[in-house]
Amino acid sequence: MLELVLGIVMILSAILALIQKDLLKAAILTGFCGGAMAVLFQILLAPDVALTQAIVGAAIIPVFIALAVKKTQREDS
Amino acid sequence: MAQVQLIILITSVALVIIGLYSAIFIDNIIKKIIGISFIEEGANLFIVAIGYKAGGVVPILMPEMDTSWFASNAAYPLPFGLVLTSIVIGASTLAVMLALVMVLYKKYGTLSTKVMLADTSKQEEYNE
Amino acid sequence: MNELIPLMVIVPLMAALLISAFSRFNTVTKIFAFVVAICLPIIPIASNYGLHYFGGYEPMLDNVTNVMFHPAITYSFTFLQQIFIAMVGLLTFLVIFIYLTKYKEVSGPYLFLLFLGTAAVTAMLLTDDIFHMFVFFEILALAQVGIVAASSISYSNEMALKYMILGSIGSPMMLLGIGFLLAMTGSVNITDIAAAVHNGLVDATSPVFLMSLALIFFGWLYASGLPPFHTIKSGIYSKAEPHGAALLQSFTVISMISIVLVMFRIYSTLPIFEVLIVFFSILAMILGVSLALTQTDFRRMIGFLAVGELGFIGLGIGLGTQYSITAGLFQALNEITITALLFIGFGAIVNATNEVDTRKLGGLLAYHPKVSIMLLIGGLAMAGVPPLSGFQSKLMLVQASLSCGYPEISILAIVVSIATFVVFVKTYYSMFLKPKPNDLDVEHKEVPRAMIFAMGILLIIVIAFGVYPDVVTNGISNFVGGIL
Repeated sequence: MLELVLGIVMILSAILALIQKDLLKAAILTGFCGGAMAVLFQILLAPDVALTQAIVGAAIIPVFIALAVKKTQREDS
Repeated sequence: MAQVQLIILITSVALVIIGLYSAIFIDNIIKKIIGISFIEEGANLFIVAIGYKAGGVVPILMPEMDTSWFASNAAYPLPFGLVLTSIVIGASTLAVMLALVMVLYKKYGTLSTKVMLADTSKQEEYNE
Repeated sequence: MNELIPLMVIVPLMAALLISAFSRFNTVTKIFAFVVAICLPIIPIASNYGLHYFGGYEPMLDNVTNVMFHPAITYSFTFLQQIFIAMVGLLTFLVIFIYLTKYKEVSGPYLFLLFLGTAAVTAMLLTDDIFHMFVFFEILALAQVGIVAASSISYSNEMALKYMILGSIGSPMMLLGIGFLLAMTGSVNITDIAAAVHNGLVDATSPVFLMSLALIFFGWLYASGLPPFHTIKSGIYSKAEPHGAALLQSFTVISMISIVLVMFRIYSTLPIFEVLIVFFSILAMILGVSLALTQTDFRRMIGFLAVGELGFIGLGIGLGTQYSITAGLFQALNEITITALLFIGFGAIVNATNEVDTRKLGGLLAYHPKVSIMLLIGGLAMAGVPPLSGFQSKLMLVQASLSCGYPEISILAIVVSIATFVVFVKTYYSMFLKPKPNDLDVEHKEVPRAMIFAMGILLIIVIAFGVYPDVVTNGISNFVGGIL
């Protein structure tokens, strides 16, 4: 049942990230999607991939996007 | 096909479609790039789901395991190795794209794709 | 010496990393880059043909199903790989030579990108592992974007970002296609996949197999710049520095043929595959030439002509006989040299006049006679005038399509060749022969010696292939006989 919940969390956070007006919130929601995917990888018997995805998907990619937002502008106009 | 795999496949297809939609139709360049990262994540999720085996074990051979039992019960580890590479490639392309966006923002002062990536041949004629 | 096979990838890759790490020391970097660049064409010529298994894992025989399978990443090195790697190595050497002589202070990251691209295309040609090819396909896309973004031409960053966005849509598609193949066969080794398909272990009419063809085909269209990507491809050629563009088009051609040969080995049982390739190739030929006619920027014009020439390569491979594939691959080899010659030559003109609009140029024959003669020969070779190399490969293509029973395609190929000739002569006339406009002030700037040297070497190759095509075609024909 956990995988169903995680799948719904991923799709919801992906859609929410794309309809946000505030780009910083979008970056954080991208991190939600990546983190949920790391747990899914663990369910799929791939713990090594899950470790990498937890670092890259839940931390590095949102931080990159947040840095880019900080250097440019925060609102989606 | 196990039920887990089916759910995962639906999730990955949904991610790819959401990503393609945003990459084509959304105007804001940073949201476009977020969408592109969703396409990559969907592809990765799909490939990991190939290696899954219902009721299997993690493909790491422990000393106390019987080899033939392990061979018939472990998940298929080749796709996992491929996805490790693919995740890192995705992060690096994302970083390069964001760097180019930062450079272009200094020039245009906006994140709108219509302004930033308009047809360059027309821009050149306009400048002349 | 089979040990040299992995070195063809490792040497440029290590050189790239070392140069970008130690780019503070200008003289050392220059000497090191020059030495490595000389080594690049020598290594493939000195190496023996053979296979290289990474990690030493030899192929194994499965006792139950009686099928050979390859556990290691395999590099296979034959005549085809040798000639193409030597050619791209020579081109890299010439481009790096031009770059080193042009600037006093060299940029480490730029040299890094040039070497990285060379390593990536070399690995794509050598590898027998479809995922390995995908990884270097991505690295190649990053290197191309870097080369474009590093140029000082205006709007180069915009073009690089556009190319990158399209690329990051195209490459997950290709990854999904590889995933479908992996799900059906359980392997990423191309020989194993092809054996599984040809032995009937995989249902060749199943929708999953067709879907994987469609997805990998999309990635191939992006990599080779066939329609619908022809505009962006010619755009990145015109936004890169001229010597960078000469290298970029060779990357495009080589990634095109390496991916299409892989697809040919896997999907050749499907009849729709060859129809698709011929369709997109003809589209590229027509669109490339007709868009080239309307351009006023001559760099853009050469970019579209290069896309049109790619259609000839695809045509030869799509017809699917041994003779036609040989012709297509020979055309690929000729296109690399001829287009590089044209890009470098027109780059010399840009260097001397700072003007890219053909309407504002004229009368340059008196100022740069050497460059103009060499450009004329290069353009004639591209249009297919005997006895130059373009003529030999286009003649082979026309004969191949006639013997396959498609006279329409051969007529079309001849018409497109004539149109290429018209486009080139029109541009050549307005640049070199037309009286000089009054407002054009040509400085008496010497064309750099290195550019003349590079053009001379490429010209010798063009003429040599035109007079003795058998040197190359026999070897390529043997290779093609092996994969059919």
